Amino acid sequence: MSKKCREIELLLSAYLESELSREDAAGISEHLGDCPDCLAKKEKIEELISRLSDLQEEVPFFLKNRLYNIPEIIEKEAPVKFLVFPKWLAAAIGTIILFLNLFYFTNIFPPGNRTLHQFVSSVEKIIVKSGGWIERIKESKELLFFTFFNKKAVEVKSGSEGQDVNAEKGGKNG
Amino acid sequence: MLINAYSKSVYNIALNFFAERDIASDVTQEIFIKVYHNLDKYREEKNFSSWVFAISRNYCIDYWRKNKKYMINRQELDDNIASGKSTPEENLIRESEIDGLRKKLAKLDPELRLAIILRDIQDLSYKEIAERFSIPEGTVKSRINRARLKLAQAYMQGDA
Repeated sequence: MSKKCREIELLLSAYLESELSREDAAGISEHLGDCPDCLAKKEKIEELISRLSDLQEEVPFFLKNRLYNIPEIIEKEAPVKFLVFPKWLAAAIGTIILFLNLFYFTNIFPPGNRTLHQFVSSVEKIIVKSGGWIERIKESKELLFFTFFNKKAVEVKSGSEGQDVNAEKGGKNG
Repeated sequence: MLINAYSKSVYNIALNFFAERDIASDVTQEIFIKVYHNLDKYREEKNFSSWVFAISRNYCIDYWRKNKKYMINRQELDDNIASGKSTPEENLIRESEIDGLRKKLAKLDPELRLAIILRDIQDLSYKEIAERFSIPEGTVKSRINRARLKLAQAYMQGDA
């Protein structure tokens, strides 16, 4: 293929769509008259362009039905959102936790470190105290339970013993 | 409605991209599922047709890459059947001219294929195609010219 043919090839579409200047178009027409290879290519492209428009088809009926059902399918598939947690809030919380850790475990900002340790120790105290209260409540609950039920048991026991004694006394008298 | 307005365009892109009706139907359905899923991501400053085309184009190219081996093997098998034992008359019975053209089209590079589909099958202007691809008009023109030349050469050499 000659250099001229390669140049013509690059312009064939523009030539067929009348997008070239008159001079350029005349030059190509002249070359096409002399070069059977380029002329054959040009004719083939012309034929292809007219045939390609026949490739457009209507959407099959079954496919249209499938497409119309898509919104329903998506609605059914949509996951239920239990918790709406914005990303920016998560990022802010994460950053705060990171900084708190930095101040707690390193001494790059001593007042911050001190305050954090004080805060943590006060939280620990509260936990220990509350733990103590919980223990006390548990103990008192057990004590109450024991006292109440034991009392009942003792009453029942003493009641039956009294009946026995009376019966014995009655027997002796009889 | 979305489906009435875009189903024909999307289906024809898929059909002429893959040259297989079954694949085209499945791909069209998947593209619309993607469109519905991503509707909230659509920004109004972009043309909606271009946005739908971008989804279609990406999906077609991804699908083609994932199944490239199978598709090339299938094309080669079709070529062997067509070139070997059967007569031209039998070939005509086996597949229509339109299917033959579609199969030749399916052998082009994906980007060339999409450009020629929009221009010569869907009759879009160069400007509209440039918008959809987000590339300069000059690039679109050269792609379409290259695609037409390759297709014409395929016909003239009588391969496939």
